[in-house]
Amino acid sequence: MDLATIMSRAAGLAGGAGGEALKRLQHVRLPGVGQSSVTDDARTAARRWRAVTVLTEPARLQEALPAPLAAFGDRLEVRVTPAPGDRGAELAARFRGPVTEEDIGQLRAALREAKALVEVGEVLRVDPQPHGHRKPTPQGAAVEGMAAKAPEEGVL
Amino acid sequence: MRAATWTGVNEVSVEEVPEPTILNDHDVIVKVRLSTTCGSDLHLLGGYIPFMRAGDVLGHEFMGEVVEVGPGVRQRRVGDRVVVNSFIACGNCWYCRQQLFSLCDNGNPNPGITEGLWGQSPGGCFGYSHAVGGFAGSHAEYIRVPYADVGAFVVPEGVSDTRALFASDAVSTGWMGAELAGTEPGDVVAVWGAGGVGQMAARAAMLLGAERVFVIDRLPERLAQVRQHVGAEAIDYSATDVLAELREQTGGRGPDICIEAVGMEAHSPGTHGVYDQVKQQLRLQTDRPAAVREAVLACRKGGTVFVLGVFAAAVDKFPLGAVMNKGLTVRGAQVHGQRFTPRILEHMARGELVTEHLATHVLPLDEAPRGYQMFKDKTDGCVRAVFTPHG
Repeated sequence: MDLATIMSRAAGLAGGAGGEALKRLQHVRLPGVGQSSVTDDARTAARRWRAVTVLTEPARLQEALPAPLAAFGDRLEVRVTPAPGDRGAELAARFRGPVTEEDIGQLRAALREAKALVEVGEVLRVDPQPHGHRKPTPQGAAVEGMAAKAPEEGVL
Repeated sequence: MRAATWTGVNEVSVEEVPEPTILNDHDVIVKVRLSTTCGSDLHLLGGYIPFMRAGDVLGHEFMGEVVEVGPGVRQRRVGDRVVVNSFIACGNCWYCRQQLFSLCDNGNPNPGITEGLWGQSPGGCFGYSHAVGGFAGSHAEYIRVPYADVGAFVVPEGVSDTRALFASDAVSTGWMGAELAGTEPGDVVAVWGAGGVGQMAARAAMLLGAERVFVIDRLPERLAQVRQHVGAEAIDYSATDVLAELREQTGGRGPDICIEAVGMEAHSPGTHGVYDQVKQQLRLQTDRPAAVREAVLACRKGGTVFVLGVFAAAVDKFPLGAVMNKGLTVRGAQVHGQRFTPRILEHMARGELVTEHLATHVLPLDEAPRGYQMFKDKTDGCVRAVFTPHG
């Protein structure tokens, strides 16, 4: 096997590892780094409300749920409450039944998209972007894996 | 089109890349006239911000001409000569409405990375890694600018391209430090770092009424620019004890406001510098905070320290005791450029803010690797390398 093939295969593995690493990062608490609810057990974490604050009147969200959340149908409980001060509305959601990490990731992305649609009218896209030659390195593939999973990860 | 790309640690190339296209209704495409290196790019080059992919287009400080507008753009027109802020902000979220544009909730499509590091995600930034969106940078013939009505400003007649270029980031960052630190008439302000941002922080402090402004660095050509073009007082830290000098110059009080414009790769003489280098290389700290430490120790009781330099994560030996016991206010931010650019352009038009001297090396884009090398090594008197993608 030549070096290019080895690097290419290593990069392929690293891409998956990058996404996985980002997922793991959310559950690591180092001093000064990381913010996840790492002390929650899986069942408690699954039942937590995931929330974004949207700069809009609560009534707008109560009248019509933004499409990314509406797509989940009856699987979600949704709560809309006024945010303190002039901050708009707190839009929170959680699954009614058992969930997987994938489900929670999709909910994170949907909440962010819902907020963007209400506040801006569109969800900011980044692909395709101009770029030069992507050398198939493990580090580069790991970053690409992280970026691909980033909309579904984070502390939300 | 041609673009300067990051191709590995300390490796910049110029290569053919696809042209950008309108992806969102609020986008414009800008034909880049000038695009400059920034000190914060060196953190990407050095691998200190490990979220770059080979082939990513570098550059976040630029100006040019609008050549295409999306259907949702209301205020920009084809043909507008614009300077564009480095951070990408929607203008509609709560943070943007508070004029905290770099904290925009909707500007970073990759929030998971920075939320994992910092608990919250800032907005997106051009050409500054996948941690802040993965947007292509400005060292290219053309660039896509999202939320153009919010972040692209028409350059007034009479303001040169070169002067306007630095309103994009260097001046707006410097201005932010001086203003948000609360500079008032009669204040004494000290600025660490005489690069583009530090010089402009000093100039902003003077325009906001500071009575005395000091800028601290070790490079003679930059200190000369501070005296000649900014009108501030220069302190060479390689030739004097900065803390003693500032005490002597301020009646023993220390500066009212200390602005750090150096960032995570700060140099410092003696054992402190060696200590930070070793700890950073061993990954026992991610950033070298020598200038921040000194700013905290120099600041007068009850004063304000503003951190403008880019930091990634954790530092060691931060004098938190001094912060608490001296009653200091410590602030920091990525640049809220959209907040300050209109005022900056007015000052530029009146000739009160000049920046042309920062562009010590104006080069064709094909010479970007050489430009970055000079800029990184600080050779040939390089303060900023500025690229001209269209010659």
